[in-house]
Amino acid sequence: MSTEADATTAGEAGTARQPLVRLTGAKKHFPITQGIIFQREIGRVHAVDGVDLEVYPGETLGIVGESGCGKSTLARLVCKLLPLTEGTLEFEGKDVTHLAGNELRLLRRQVQMIFQDPYSSLNPRKRVGTIIGDPFDIHGIADGKERKQRVQELMEVVGLNPEHYNRFPAEFSGGQRQRIGVARALALRPRLIICDEPVSALDVSIQAQVINLLEDLQTEFHLTYIFIAHDLSVVRHVSDRVAVMYLGKVVELADAGRLYKTPKHPYTGALMSAVPVADPDLAEKRERVILVGDVPSPIDPPSGCRFHPRCPKAQPNCVTDEPPLEVKEAGDLAACHYPLEPGENLAKAKPGIQQETTAPQLASG
Amino acid sequence: MALLEVTDLRVQFRTDDGIVKAVDGVNFSLDRGQTLGIVGESGSGKSVTCLSIMGLARGGRVGGQALFQGKDLLKMHADELRAVRGKQIAMIFQDPLSSLHPFYKVGAQIVEMILAHEKMSKKEARDRAIDLLRLVGVPRPDRRVDDYPHQFSGGMRQRAMIAMALALDPAVLIADEPTTALDVTVQAQVLDLIERLQHEFGTAIIMITHDLGVVADIADDVLVMYGGKPIEIADRRSVYYQPHHPYTWGLLQSIPSVGAEHTGEKLRAIKGMPPSLIHLPTGCSFHPRCPYVMDVCKKEEPHLLPAGDNGAHLSACHLSIDEKQRIWQQEVAPTR
Repeated sequence: MSTEADATTAGEAGTARQPLVRLTGAKKHFPITQGIIFQREIGRVHAVDGVDLEVYPGETLGIVGESGCGKSTLARLVCKLLPLTEGTLEFEGKDVTHLAGNELRLLRRQVQMIFQDPYSSLNPRKRVGTIIGDPFDIHGIADGKERKQRVQELMEVVGLNPEHYNRFPAEFSGGQRQRIGVARALALRPRLIICDEPVSALDVSIQAQVINLLEDLQTEFHLTYIFIAHDLSVVRHVSDRVAVMYLGKVVELADAGRLYKTPKHPYTGALMSAVPVADPDLAEKRERVILVGDVPSPIDPPSGCRFHPRCPKAQPNCVTDEPPLEVKEAGDLAACHYPLEPGENLAKAKPGIQQETTAPQLASG
Repeated sequence: MALLEVTDLRVQFRTDDGIVKAVDGVNFSLDRGQTLGIVGESGSGKSVTCLSIMGLARGGRVGGQALFQGKDLLKMHADELRAVRGKQIAMIFQDPLSSLHPFYKVGAQIVEMILAHEKMSKKEARDRAIDLLRLVGVPRPDRRVDDYPHQFSGGMRQRAMIAMALALDPAVLIADEPTTALDVTVQAQVLDLIERLQHEFGTAIIMITHDLGVVADIADDVLVMYGGKPIEIADRRSVYYQPHHPYTWGLLQSIPSVGAEHTGEKLRAIKGMPPSLIHLPTGCSFHPRCPYVMDVCKKEEPHLLPAGDNGAHLSACHLSIDEKQRIWQQEVAPTR
């Protein structure tokens, strides 16, 4: 893993750096039970199903994927809001998988989270000053006047008016509420902030403001980010490296620029091609890859390569053999038996297996 | 004669806090086979515009004119409008889980829709529903027709909604943020479906969205709305390559570009927040956020005027045509 570690640090010096966070063989399964008196497990949701990931100090690791890919669950595993079913979690080289009690509380000062929905992630009955100030109380760091001062400083840092200290969340707009969430996450000066779709619920013009704020804060406070989003343009803009997830697994992990220019995994290629671009000529020119089928359920994932029912390049061995996530080129990783070559036109690919079609059945074809 | 011609549409809602001017003077026309994109952020009035044309703006006071094949929809009796709605003008909404009834099978809902407008037997209507599901690419439609909405995924539900909307071959399809709630690859599937169906049936489409990327691909003309007012209207290429309004510039600059080189440059965000529709700013509603604001902007509301030689390209801004061209070419376009 160390050669991969050296090679995949994008834009930074190639010296071997200790990862801030390391997940090894991470799995998170949610059981589905039946029965009233005796609960029998009849199935599992394989939300995260074998993920190895490293995050380096100062970088922004983007995680993209569609519904059911496990990215939000992964975020909660790193944050220790959910326990791992299998696998280990290391923070600054120390195994924190089974941390509890006071030691866990100390860890929580280092890893914080910003949530997606600015309307449900703030307690509507608490004033803003309390929401941002609670971390100081919980960890016994500051109280009274000092706490208020630090909260107001934080409010200024994120672009809120410190005089609104006593207002309730309902008195703020969506973008401002998200800034409150940012201030709360920043309160304890964590090393790592996990941003779980922090701008998805915001209007485009407000998104840009919050993205700029997050970038400024990263520089000022030497933060490391894990940035989860389904909007590929946003992820591209903020990330150094990007991991693409599909049905509980990482299928590609590469430097952000290379991922978008020359994706290796067909799913990544399809994602790139599906992103709407605000450029009519470009939109017309490019050949769209329209995937067949629907995103399958994580309860019963397909055999072999999980993407085979929808992959434009699928071959018979894709149905039986699961491809490992391995280095393909320049330290970028992909899990595919037939990765994309530079310049390959995925829109023209024909699968070598039967797949369920969802193409419209028109007279004109 | 245009298929749908909307003139000076105004919609207001009375609330305890004051009168909300949701839509304040919208004009557009739509021809057969054409697609109009209506773009704007939350509170811009884009959804209420179309809901009120269909008579679905509950509690709103609607003014102006909406001529559909020469008859004013806003002045029709409830019965007349009901005959038009669904059969001639169909609508699909953002979240198919809340627009499909959870207690009824999907097939039954399509059948109900067909039988409300056409005379045929239940069996014939059911066969038609199965054909429609097959048409929109739902696999095994003869089985899926008896599923409930919660048994469909988001993309499939939206396809079922599209099937229902197109069941009676309407002249106009209004799609209100149809793909916002969907994953990006499913969005691509649904947009592809809508385009192909339009090509097949010649349906005129109004596509409401906040996503300038979606509209770039699918629209012929684009209407940009802000604070309930139309601020720019032009053909697709003009809006993206020669926009003439600071708000449109701001929107284009706010979007990070996937194709661009990773320059590490910051996004140019529009400062401030969208306006309250009860207490709109004086003069031009955009003036508190406009980087090019002048004194006149605070006092006088700008009218929609031609942006140059192209008479169809209108923009509501006090900046002169030359100024706008200069700013676009020298200051804004290089940042994209």
